[in-house]
Parts: sequence; C-alpha cells; structure tokens
Amino acid sequence: MSGNTSYVLPFMLASLLHGVVVTALVVKWPDESFETITSDEFLFLDAMLVEKNPYREKERQRDNVNKKTIAKKALEAVIPDPVENKDEKDQAQIDAERLAMEEDLARELARSQQLERERLERRKNEQSLSLAILDEQEYRRAITDDEKAQAYVAQITREIIKNWSRPPSARNGMEAILKVFLAPTGEVVSVSVLASSGSESFDRSAALAVQKAERFLVPTDARQFERNFREFTVLFRPEDLRL
Amino acid sequence: MAETLSIVDLILNASLVVQLVMGSLFVASMASWIMIFQRGFNLNATIRSNTEFEDEIWSGKDWGKIYLDMQARDEGIHFGMESIFAAGFKEYTRMKKQKDADPDAIMQNVQRFMRSAMSLEEERLETHLSFLATVGSTSPYVGLFGTVWGIMNAFRGLATVQQASLAIVAPGISEALVATAMGLFAAIPAVIAYNRFSAQVEIIVKRCEGFIDEFSSILHRTEYAN
Repeated sequence: MSGNTSYVLPFMLASLLHGVVVTALVVKWPDESFETITSDEFLFLDAMLVEKNPYREKERQRDNVNKKTIAKKALEAVIPDPVENKDEKDQAQIDAERLAMEEDLARELARSQQLERERLERRKNEQSLSLAILDEQEYRRAITDDEKAQAYVAQITREIIKNWSRPPSARNGMEAILKVFLAPTGEVVSVSVLASSGSESFDRSAALAVQKAERFLVPTDARQFERNFREFTVLFRPEDLRL
Repeated sequence: MAETLSIVDLILNASLVVQLVMGSLFVASMASWIMIFQRGFNLNATIRSNTEFEDEIWSGKDWGKIYLDMQARDEGIHFGMESIFAAGFKEYTRMKKQKDADPDAIMQNVQRFMRSAMSLEEERLETHLSFLATVGSTSPYVGLFGTVWGIMNAFRGLATVQQASLAIVAPGISEALVATAMGLFAAIPAVIAYNRFSAQVEIIVKRCEGFIDEFSSILHRTEYAN
C-alpha cells in the first residue's frame, strides 16, 4: 500500500542509529582524561627488616664459622698431613689438589656473590619499571610528586616494619602482596590480601602489621593522596631470615 | 578503582530496577525512532503526491478523465488529496445518475463524503504521533525515576560503611545518571519529531480543506449555472 510506508526500512534505520550510538559510547568511553583519574600505579613498599636482629646475626656468624670449620675438616680429611708424608712427588700432587680445591671454593663464592648482585639489579629494575609506568603527560609533575611521596612511603614502610611480627613459619622467598585502603586522614579503612604467600599465618601477620599501625602519615594534598595513597599495595618479603 | 569504569560495566552492575528502566527507555527510543523514520517518509510522500495532484487538477484537464486515470492506477486505493477528490467525485457521479437530484442535495452529499474522507486521511496522518508525544513527555520522568532509585541505593550502601568517602557512592551515582541520560536521549528526538510532524500534518490538512472548498465552489458553479 503506497499510503502507508512499510516499517522495514524505518526499523533498519533506527537499529543502525542505535547501533552506532551504542558502539560509539562503548568504544570511545574510556578516554584519557577519565583514565588518569582512576589509574593507579602499583606502589610497592618493600617491607624489609632493615636493622638486623642481633641474636640472629650472632647465630649466622656462628653458622658461618661452623661451615668454615666443616670445610676445613673436609679438606683435612682429604689431604693427609704433609709432615707425615715424606715423598716429594706426592707432596707436589697434594699441593696441587689442595690448590684446585681452594680454587673451587673461591669460584663457588664468586658465583653466589654474582647471583646476589643480579638479584639486587633485578629488584632495582623492577622499581624503575614501576616508575616508568607513570603516565607520560603527568610525568613531569610526577617526578616532584614522587620525591615527596617517597618520604611518605618510607615513613609508612617504617611504621609497618615496626608492627610486623613474623610467624615462625616465615621463610625467605615468601612474598605476600596486600592491598591497603586509606581514608584521607591516613586511617586504615581495609586491608586485603592481593597475592598470598601460601602461608596463611604469614599473610595474617602482614595484614595485622598494617592494621596495628592504624594510622599512617599521608600527604595533606588531596590530589596526591588520591593518586598514591588512597589505595596502595604493600609487598611483604622477609629478607633476613636464615631459612 | 583498579579498572576504569566503562559504560558497559555501569549498566551491567546497575540494580535490577535501574536496568529495567534503562531497558524500557532503550525500547522506547528504538520505537520512537522507527516511528520518526516511518512518519517522515510517509508525510514526505503525502506532500509530494498532494503537490503532484494539485498540479494535475489545475492543469485544465477534464476531471472525469483524471478520476478514471486515478482509478486505473494504484488499484483504486488513494491517499492524501486524491482520496478526497475520489470520494467527492464518486458521490457526484452517483448523484448525477439520479435524474431528479436536487442541486442542494448533491452539494451537501458530496461535501459530506469529502469531509469524511478527509477525517480518515487526517487520522492516517496522525498515527503514531501520540506515541511520539508520550515518549517525549514521559521518558525523562522514567529516566529520572531510575536515577532516583539508583542514588537511593548508592546512599543506602553508604550507610553501612564506616569510612564514608566519595569513591563509595560515585559509581552508584554514575550508573544512576546513565538512566537520566537515556531518558533524555529518547525524549529529545521524540519531542522534536512530534512538533515537526504535527506542524506538517496541520499544513496538509489546511491544504486539503482548501481543496474541498474549491471543489465545492466549482461544483456549485456547474450545478447552478444550468
């Protein structure tokens, strides 16, 4: 009927229009300005125990001494007393063996030191990576802000370390990442475990350390607080344990 | 907030009532746009055919011939001015067949038939316009209802937390405001289209009335001349 235009074309046009509007909204919605408000850089607070437990230190020294003596004993066990051995040829051979063994030990030591260095290097890289994540357009501002933030971070780290009493089951290499939400006044709103260390008691001790602090010193500048301290992650990693 | 708030998340995480409101508004917007396109095409076609018809009628051709041509084309179904002319002319020829027809009676009958054809035509032109008016006037309220409901819930959630902060209510308010945005999105085109189409319908009706007057005055002249 020519009088009443059919509804097929209008329906298609209306669908097309709505489809365009919806896709435009979905695709274009998260634009840059919106993202920077809600973006959060992972701020890792390395909660390492800085001062060494004197008792543990002593124990470690004793341990090292023990190791050395054991090594010495082992050497002595392999190498017969040179005084008892009169043979010149044997003596030379034994000397050579001893030298080789000592070299082995030195190599071993150098290797472990190398590993330690590499580990430190990697850690440094990680930290610089988290800095590099900073948004480009905010970069310049972020540098000065970061310097200010670092002081607060250090303070918060100290607070947490002070309150952290680790369970006996804690081992080197355990890592727990906690997410902490703060009120603008610095009070702890909530703590949640982001990545468990695998040991529940360890996680609990870490959460307790944050909760015991109750209140942290945070920047009074609201923008800076929102950016870095509204919520942040804390990495708990015991460094000085023997085991 | 670890993830950015996309509009999809906002809609998916909204409460059921707000989602229903959004859904109904989307349907209303969809329907009103279908009506807008349909009406737009229809009214344009009507105006075009009316202009063509007027050109034909006042070109000095024999009206009886025009009527027969019209009946032959489009299977005898007409719209716009053509239908009014067809109704009037058909009645006129029918009355003329009766030998003792009174000119007054012929005039009145023809006019009555044309009037009724025109009111049918008017009705056809105004279909869906009331729907557009309804969408235009109510969907902002529906959207507002969704927003009020969403904000209500957002603040109720605020009551249960100890540390009240903007971050807790902000997503709720944001998702609630999506409902208002959708209401306005549905309402604005509907209102504009309603105003435009009702103005167009009025113009068409005026021209039809003018044509009826001219038709009857010509009829009057021919009837009383002899």
